Amino acid sequence: MALDQQLLEEVESRGDGVAYLRLYRWSPACLSLGRNERASARYDRHRIEKLRLPVVRRPTGGRAVWHDREVTYAVAAPLAAFGSLGESYRAIHFRLLCALRRLGVPATLSSGPPRGARLDIGPCFSAAVGGEIVVNGNKLVGSAQVRARRAFLQHGSILLEGDQSVVLSVTRAFQSAVNTTGLAQTLGRNVAFEEVMEAVLETWARPGEEIETMDSPRVDPGALAFFSDPAWTWRR
Amino acid sequence: MSKIPEDLHYTEEHEYVKQTDDPGVVQIGITDYAQSELGDVVYVDLPEVGEKFARMDVFGTIEAVKAVSELFCPVAGEVVEVNEALEGDPSLVNKDPYGEGWMIRLRIRNPAELDQLLTAADYAQHIGE
Repeated sequence: MALDQQLLEEVESRGDGVAYLRLYRWSPACLSLGRNERASARYDRHRIEKLRLPVVRRPTGGRAVWHDREVTYAVAAPLAAFGSLGESYRAIHFRLLCALRRLGVPATLSSGPPRGARLDIGPCFSAAVGGEIVVNGNKLVGSAQVRARRAFLQHGSILLEGDQSVVLSVTRAFQSAVNTTGLAQTLGRNVAFEEVMEAVLETWARPGEEIETMDSPRVDPGALAFFSDPAWTWRR
Repeated sequence: MSKIPEDLHYTEEHEYVKQTDDPGVVQIGITDYAQSELGDVVYVDLPEVGEKFARMDVFGTIEAVKAVSELFCPVAGEVVEVNEALEGDPSLVNKDPYGEGWMIRLRIRNPAELDQLLTAADYAQHIGE
């Protein structure tokens, strides 16, 4: 989270058109909360701590996600590069869709309008709200955004296995079934992180764009401290 | 077409500034165009009364489906009132952005800063309407 936020702040301050695409995975697996979720009321903190589940609160909107068998992506880019909220959400998902199609995944972008979801209706993956990457109506990729003055960050999870049951297991109220799927279920075989990463890198660039690969930058200790602070994680 | 009242000031970041009955205090919110672009607003994170902001400081955030957007203070000043109704019903921003969906009231530090904001005509051009 700290690094994603750091990339956003760098793009915001640079203003030279450079954008970042980051692909990563979680170790250990972790529960992430949406920036404004009422987590203290929604989730059983005592149970989360008893189960020793790592928890972090994202800088982006949306609802809780269990990050385990997935490829996590983050795009930090100038607002001007991808347009409005709806345009950028769909444009980034379309690029990911191209990579998934290359892997043979029969995924599509859902057409529902991005309206009607509420912060209190369940895990992030529980409903497709429009412009989502779905297979037979089940969400394969869940994403969220934060928009600053000149730049935005969109990050999300490409599920290798579509299991979000951990979120439900720590949710206080009854939740409806979660309609998710993963690449393993979709393709009938295990899919490696590296395979997805390569497909994304091969299909990402558009005419006129150049991709330069780099190692992850050093995480700013201040940002790390911020996202590690329980006062932020359990702010609501 | 979005509603763009003639008598307000605007920012390129889609906030508006509206005069109140107190000449030193302005009301700030987001425009009709902005609420329409965001979609259903689910949460508005606002500052406390007494907080001070410089021009274009982030004074809060607004969350619509899946996205959090920062809110920018169009002019410098001190928050004198916060719209508490948005805590219970953030959809007021969608229903009535210039009225019940207002966000903060600010005692402005330098009235001349208002002249640096966009007019209704400027803003209409900015959003292509």
